[in-house]
Amino acid sequence: MSDDKNNNEDNVRVFDVETTFQKYARRPGGVPRDRAIKYAMSRVDELKPEFDDWLDKELQALAESVRRAEEGHEARGWIDTINNHARQLRDVGTTMGSELLTYIAGSLCSVLDQMAAGAKFNKESISCHVDALFLARQPQYRGLKPEQVPELIAGLRQVLEHVSTSPS
Amino acid sequence: MNRVLCFASGQPYREANSQRMATHSINLRDLVVLVADSSSYLSTIIHRMLRGFGANKIMECRTSVELLQTLTDQKIDVLLCDANLPPLGGLMVTQMIRRKVDNENRTIPILLMSSDTRETAVKQARDAGANMVIAKPISPASLYDRLAWVALTPRQFVDAPTYFGPDRRFKIEGYPGGVGRRKGDNATEVAEEAGPALDQGDIDNLFSAARMGKD
Repeated sequence: MSDDKNNNEDNVRVFDVETTFQKYARRPGGVPRDRAIKYAMSRVDELKPEFDDWLDKELQALAESVRRAEEGHEARGWIDTINNHARQLRDVGTTMGSELLTYIAGSLCSVLDQMAAGAKFNKESISCHVDALFLARQPQYRGLKPEQVPELIAGLRQVLEHVSTSPS
Repeated sequence: MNRVLCFASGQPYREANSQRMATHSINLRDLVVLVADSSSYLSTIIHRMLRGFGANKIMECRTSVELLQTLTDQKIDVLLCDANLPPLGGLMVTQMIRRKVDNENRTIPILLMSSDTRETAVKQARDAGANMVIAKPISPASLYDRLAWVALTPRQFVDAPTYFGPDRRFKIEGYPGGVGRRKGDNATEVAEEAGPALDQGDIDNLFSAARMGKD
């Protein structure tokens, strides 16, 4: 790390940094991009047989959280719990080959965010998202993109619009 | 509802330099990569990707408390951090790392992983001192290209009263292989939001906007 220049007027110092990461990453012997991506994809593919088990557990936990919410447990807690499950599904769905799962889970996150921000609690809007997630888990929906199920997506959009315009 | 937020500076550089960058590779062997995400499953996926890239020293942590402790205890070479890492969040953690004067990890590359890709969120990440934002869900190509960009594109650091971090005024001169936007990267938009979601190409260009006088 060496000083490059000083700007006394603004008390701003701009300097060069060469991190260990940069130094080491430039060494010869790295895995070329195409091969690295291929290796990475095959390692991720190795997880796919377990993905269904993980997905089932997440969906069951999500459904259980919704059931508890419907029984009247304290609102803030269950919104966070359901949101945590939904975020996980959203964040891994596409990577594991289910873009539709990511879409539906992302929509559910938006619904929950709206409720956390003060929109009226509407359990049907959550339940229909959970149902849609279970649907997306079915083999015939695996690998589908959102645009391939326009009616489902249109329905979710309507639900979200309804939630976002409902005052608490 | 869909929109294109285009900071036009990035694309020509990307295209012009794609062939040159395609020959580059990065060597992650013996570099300590820390993956900080509350989801053990997502962390496993990222871990697998990094292994595929040749990384052999990968650490994981689940909370920002654990992350900050790890950074105090040992040298980390690159940090992949969830923007929502509980309890503090990735932005706060990034600011804390950058502001801690006596921490040897103060200048490490920080890549924030986020599903919130609205322009305001990406700008906040940049202004907190993150080197790059990676849009979730993450693909191997997206991750490799951002790591390669951070590794192969030197950036100065700025130490100012209100900011410490990589110079926010820079331009992207292309990723290895010329990869830019990915269709699958788009965050889903289903309702009115504070701002539109950006795809990975827009995020990259947003980081480059300042030099072009557009931010």
